[in-house]
Amino acid sequence: MEQKLYVKVLKFFLIVFVTMLFFFPIYWIFSMAFKPFPEWTAAGGKIYWFPNNPTFNNFRAIFSRKLEMSPIAGTAIRPILNSLTVSIIGTAIAMVVGIFAAYGISRYKAGGNLPFMLLQLRMFPPIAIIIPIMIMWAFLRMIDTWYGLAIIYGVVTLPFSVWLMKTFFDDIPKELDEAAIVDGCSNIGAFFKVVMPLAKGGIASSALFVFILNWSDFLIALILTDRRWTTIPVHISKLQSAMVGALYGPKAALGMIAAVPPIVFGILIQKYLVRGFTFGAIKK
Amino acid sequence: MASIRLENITKKFKNTTAVNNISLMIADGEFFCILGPPGAGKTTLLRIIVGLEKPDEGSVIIGDDAVNEIHPSKRDISMIFQNLALYPDKTVFENIAFPLRQQKIEDEEIEKRVVEVAKHLKIDWLFEKIPSQLSGGERQRVAIGRAIVRQPKAYLMDEPLSNLDALLRLEMRVALKELQTNLKETFVYVTHDQVEALSMGDRIAVLNQGKLQQVDDPAIIYRMPNNMFVATILGNPPMNFLKCLLRRKNGTLQIEHAAFTLNSEDKKVFSLLKAGVGATGIVLGFRPEDIKIHLSKPGTVSIPAEIYVTEPLGSETIVDIKLGDNVIKVLAPPDFVGEPGQSVWITANTHKLHLFDESSHECVFHATEKSAFTIEA
Repeated sequence: MEQKLYVKVLKFFLIVFVTMLFFFPIYWIFSMAFKPFPEWTAAGGKIYWFPNNPTFNNFRAIFSRKLEMSPIAGTAIRPILNSLTVSIIGTAIAMVVGIFAAYGISRYKAGGNLPFMLLQLRMFPPIAIIIPIMIMWAFLRMIDTWYGLAIIYGVVTLPFSVWLMKTFFDDIPKELDEAAIVDGCSNIGAFFKVVMPLAKGGIASSALFVFILNWSDFLIALILTDRRWTTIPVHISKLQSAMVGALYGPKAALGMIAAVPPIVFGILIQKYLVRGFTFGAIKK
Repeated sequence: MASIRLENITKKFKNTTAVNNISLMIADGEFFCILGPPGAGKTTLLRIIVGLEKPDEGSVIIGDDAVNEIHPSKRDISMIFQNLALYPDKTVFENIAFPLRQQKIEDEEIEKRVVEVAKHLKIDWLFEKIPSQLSGGERQRVAIGRAIVRQPKAYLMDEPLSNLDALLRLEMRVALKELQTNLKETFVYVTHDQVEALSMGDRIAVLNQGKLQQVDDPAIIYRMPNNMFVATILGNPPMNFLKCLLRRKNGTLQIEHAAFTLNSEDKKVFSLLKAGVGATGIVLGFRPEDIKIHLSKPGTVSIPAEIYVTEPLGSETIVDIKLGDNVIKVLAPPDFVGEPGQSVWITANTHKLHLFDESSHECVFHATEKSAFTIEA
């Protein structure tokens, strides 16, 4: 049916409005990162919608080691590397364990009630379990270590990876594994040669999902790290000075950098993502 | 090339017995059909032969070797699945080459054999396509190609034609039969379609609720069914059944129905009465093509009846006829014309009647030329 012009116009403006609403925080972070101190501080009582005098000072403040006087000088490099390290290792743990667990659950009904127990694990608010974990980790001397944080990231995101991968494997007809087995593959051979290539999209989108969860975690990193292995979100919270309070400019700069890896990762696997997110929707 | 022997195979899933104590001998080079309704255990039986299911009891013997403990990949049997199970991300060439790649054969040899098989199946121009770009018949051929390329000991097929449209099914039926004639290999073919079983099989095994009902040549199984189930599943329209009474009168044996009486002097029928079969009643079975309809009273003994409905099918007409309180289906020539309610007379091939025990549904008597019944209207 042909739509009336005013309906089309109304729809257009509604879409533009909602889009702007959603993208505004992102815009605000990006613009704030390039604003000089007088523009990002609230002290003047004036709001700058655009950076009038764009500058890299915020980035310089957190990356350059030359500004000896500043307490935050050069402090951001380590947290960025830390975040990358623990998030990638945590994601790897969750994905490797998750893929095999999900395949076992999907094909061999392994574990009985285990899949549901895994899901129930997620119903616990993290705050309820993080203190006991901290005590355990302290006892094991794993506080403020990369492996201490990576292991807990892998464990916490495991239910997601298992359930996501399980739905992807469930969507691949069982006859394909069986055909491969009859054609001369071992059980594990059928998985690697036939099922895995088909589940690429699912694996990629699950990995991205798990990575973003790990990357944006604040609570666990706050409690399980101290100085050496703080991550980006924790470090952002620490960016303040005695004189001006919260350093919103440097915070925005670091926040902008934090947004980069998920975006890059997402673009790299875009081909698989579309397939992954619509996987179950395609009728075979 | 190998024969397949099943000995007392039983398989249970939780509370249901999918396959119940089945023994079968499938000869080398035979086209063997397994026919049964959905849920009869046909597919389970096939999966036990190939090794995807383990039987709870009994053993599977391929050639001379018991293979119960041998992994499906080492049994050297190929299988065509109901949904074909082509690898959706692989090209036609790689689909067909897949079984050979698992055997670590050299690339040149693989290419040679794949091309040879594909040429034979007329799909060699499709090598670079993936399954979703193929038509139903082409996919079917790729699946067949994947099965025959490694020259296994036997071929198992699980309703491979059920996803095709009617016309293509006819075509593939001929192609499969031709393939088997050329290969002279052992084919085990599972189907729920009696036409496929009758037209393709050297022998047919009829399965119901996990139990073997009858194993025989198609002609024999059609002419002399073991029980009412086999009589029903083969033939379209299926065999007619009429509940009758069996009793002795004046030295002959009478099978009595409201509309007619059949007389027999055969000893075997007498012994039935003695054995107590049919004390409560007996079921008379006859095929639709063994009844003839006459629009006017014929010279021979005939039974008066009434047309209920006619179903013209083009090549023939199915006439539903009211006989007493029952309705039977009769095959008439395509030019048959009749109105519902019209009076007709029917005669029967009295040497092609069957008697079934009412309680066990087993066939107790097949009439032959020598032991034909006589009709009394």
